[in-house]
Parts: sequence; structure tokens; C-alpha cells
Amino acid sequence: MLIEYKKAYLLVQKYPKIMQSKIYKEPELKEPYMVTGLPGIGYVAKLSMDYLIKELKAELFEELYSPSFPPYVLIKKDGTVELLKNEFYYWKDTRSRNDLIIFTGNTQAISPEGQYEVTYEALNRAEKFKVKKLIATAAYVTGKYVEKPKVYGVVSDPELLDDLKKYDIIPMDAGSISGTNGLLFGLAKLRGIQSLCLLSETPGYMTPSGRVLTDVKAAQALLEVLSKMLDIKIDTKPLEKEAKMAEEFVQKLEELERRWIEEMRKSVTPPPKDIYL
Amino acid sequence: MDWVKYFKEPIVKDPIAIVGSPGLRSIGEIVVDYLIEELKPKLIAELYSPHFPILYQTKPSYIPHPDLPGQAGILLKEGQIELPRIKIYLLNNPELLITKGYHANFYGQYEVANQVLDFFQEMGVKKMIVVAGYGKEGKEVCCAATDLELIKELKQYDIDIGYEGPFYGFSGLVFGLGILRNIKSICLFGKTQPNLEDLEYPDPKAAKAVLEKLRIILNLSIDLSKLDYKF
Repeated sequence: MLIEYKKAYLLVQKYPKIMQSKIYKEPELKEPYMVTGLPGIGYVAKLSMDYLIKELKAELFEELYSPSFPPYVLIKKDGTVELLKNEFYYWKDTRSRNDLIIFTGNTQAISPEGQYEVTYEALNRAEKFKVKKLIATAAYVTGKYVEKPKVYGVVSDPELLDDLKKYDIIPMDAGSISGTNGLLFGLAKLRGIQSLCLLSETPGYMTPSGRVLTDVKAAQALLEVLSKMLDIKIDTKPLEKEAKMAEEFVQKLEELERRWIEEMRKSVTPPPKDIYL
Repeated sequence: MDWVKYFKEPIVKDPIAIVGSPGLRSIGEIVVDYLIEELKPKLIAELYSPHFPILYQTKPSYIPHPDLPGQAGILLKEGQIELPRIKIYLLNNPELLITKGYHANFYGQYEVANQVLDFFQEMGVKKMIVVAGYGKEGKEVCCAATDLELIKELKQYDIDIGYEGPFYGFSGLVFGLGILRNIKSICLFGKTQPNLEDLEYPDPKAAKAVLEKLRIILNLSIDLSKLDYKF
């Protein structure tokens, strides 16, 4: 078999593990702020960003694809296929203040190396657009039911502590912020970009089978702070209704899953947990 | 990572790539294997990767995990050495690049899919048909595509959409990443009943349904009755 190889045309190449990107537009932005939020615990950050994009009618200008994203594609309802991606949106502030870049996506890199790579790329864009301030969003896991989510904050330098006070954000001085959402905040500091991270309380709730639940209430609390901070008007009323519906849904789902698991225990061994959730 | 590929400089004009890999109930693999067996295309390229395990630590193999890279090694078949690899065959009439995929571990999935697409582009591939399985209620065969126009076109073969959700593994990524290279692709999913104990347990009946549609779309003269004894 080896002899056959010799006859063959051999090509050895280094295939660098690079990220692919697709640029839709090259906007000109004026002293922009950058707000980031990728799907994580309770989808708090992602949900907030989605809502922000919808409310501001922000425009997509670039997509990132990383080899460290989960290895699947999404088949959408209309039958078309979509890649997992992270996205950059922009919004121009017509009142001539700071424009906005929103960084979000339908996934986040799984491996630590991948999370660093994505953060590196995102912060390259931040530098390119001379971002004034980066506001990262994340979830603050309480592990128990949250009646009214509080918003915590961490800042890259003491100057920003006033910001926290001004908007009634509770300074967080111990703990950890895992994943890309944490890295975006932390590595921005290393690059000399003023950054702060807002964390909204969420129970970090999972159903008995390990499904992570969307926490609309936490997103709503986060958006309220964010809108004040960015001085933009966001109507969070529609979210209220959704939050209520979500809560009812959670209870139903919990009940269903409990029953289902009991059934499974009786008959066969339960299937493995979805490893990505 | 080092990659080796070899081919005997094939001459092609406008080939259509057919892509299948083990996946759900091994439908994609059976379809591709059967095409290779019946149409006897020529093997023109093999792609090797250090990310191809011979033993997977995840079950099913196409849902990898960063902490479970599997075990590297070689396989022996009838006394012959066999490395895990992706095989690409060429059929001249009609011009088809029949690709039998292999699932890489977490660190190689995107890389391997991109390598295969690089090769497709070198060969001038502009159209691709991916074959796989789906485990939901619906028609025998349903489809997905890179654009709505293609879905409309498939209606003439009585194929409609019917699956919504994630598409894991080699075939899924080749399908999706093809968008970035402007390869117009469709995917045919054969309906199957997921076998919870072994998701890759072969379902030749579902594979036959996919082959039947493929036969019409590509106008292949191929006898599918040999699949029946496997039911």
C-alpha cells in the first residue's frame, strides 16, 4: 500500500486553525461603545443582546465562524441551513453621541482555547473601531429562586466605580465569570480598553434532564440597567409578559420531565445528557 | 496539524459532490457505500487527519466533546493496514465526486470539513448533495438546502422540507460551511427511528428511500434491490 502512495501526488500542507469571517459592511462609527453577550447560563446575556438589536434595529456588519464552535449546523424552519456564528451589529446614535457595537451570536466556542481566540478577534474589532468602553454582560448564578433579579457589576478601573453607583449596580468583589463573556471583559482590560461587566441574577436553573432554561426576568433586569447606562430607550414591557409565560412554562416542563424521567427509570437507562448544554 | 492528501490528477468539468458519513442510523454511510459498490467510481483522493480516532469515547461518534478526543491508531482489515480517512471517488458519467466522510474528534471537525471543501473547490464543485438521516415524524425523505430556490426545485421530485434542528458531524459541517464557498447544496434526510442504545445502528430501509430519490434526481441507472436483503 505504501508503494502506491509514492506514485501518488503528495501534498503536505499546514492547515492553520483560523477563524473565518464574512464582512457585510464596513460602518464608520463615532466613539462607539461595545456591548457584548453570548449565550451562557440562562441565556441572560444573549437574550439581552437580541432584544437590544431588535429594539434599536441594529444592523449586522460581520459574522465570525470558529472551529471551536460546537460541530453542528442548524436546519431552520424554512429548510435552509445556518452555520453557528458570532455576530457584530452596529447602531448609529442619531443624537450624535456614542454609536454602538453589539457582539453576540447563536453559540459560543466550547474549548478554552477557542474562547480566547474568539475574544481576541472580537477585541481586534473593538480596537479597530476605537471603542471607548466595553460593556460585557453575563449571568450571576444564585442557585436558588430569584424573586427580583439584582444586577452586579465589575469594572476594569476604579474610575468606572462611579458608573456602578450611579445606576445602583452592586459591586461584585469575589467570584468568577466563566466563558467568553468573562474573557471579553477581562482581556479588554489587558488591551487598555475601559471595560465593565454587568451580571444579572439567575437561578442557573436546569430541568431534571439538564436542559438550561431561558431566564427572561434576568435579561429584563439587565436591559433596564443597560438602557440607563447607554441613555437609550428600550421598552421592556413585552419582556414582562414573556417572563411570566416563561415561568409558567418552566413549571410545566419541570413536571413533564420529572414524570418522563420516572418512566425512563422504570424501563431503560436514561439517555446521556446533552453534553453542550 | 499536518495533512496529507493524494490524488491522481483527475480531469473533471463540473462535478457534483455527494457527501455521506456514518451519522444517525448510518444512513449517509450506507447510501454512499452503495453508490460506490454499484457505480464503481475511481478512488481519487484520501484525506488523513490526526483528529480521526479509531476508537471514539463519545457515543454517538458524531457528537464529540473537547475532553474526549478518542484514541488514535490504525485498523487492520483482512491483514491490510487501514488508517481512518475520508475517501473521495470520482464517477465520470454523470460526473460525481462521491465522498465517504469520517467523524473527527472535537478539535478536527471544522478543519476536516474545510479541507474537504478546499478539495471540492479545486475540483470546481458548485453543487453538492448531502445524504443523512432524521429521527422525527414525517415523510420518508425530507430535504434542506442552502437557499429557498433549491427547495422549490426539489418539489418536482416530491421532496419537501420536514426537519428542523441541529445537524451534527462531518456531513452537517460540510453542508453548512459550503455556504461560505458559494456551493449550492441540498441535503436529503431519510426518516428513521433512532435506536437509543446505538444511534448509529444501520437502517438500510431508510437508506434505500434516500437512494431512490437520488436515483431520480441524478438520473442514475442503478439497481437498488440488493439493499433489500439487508433489511
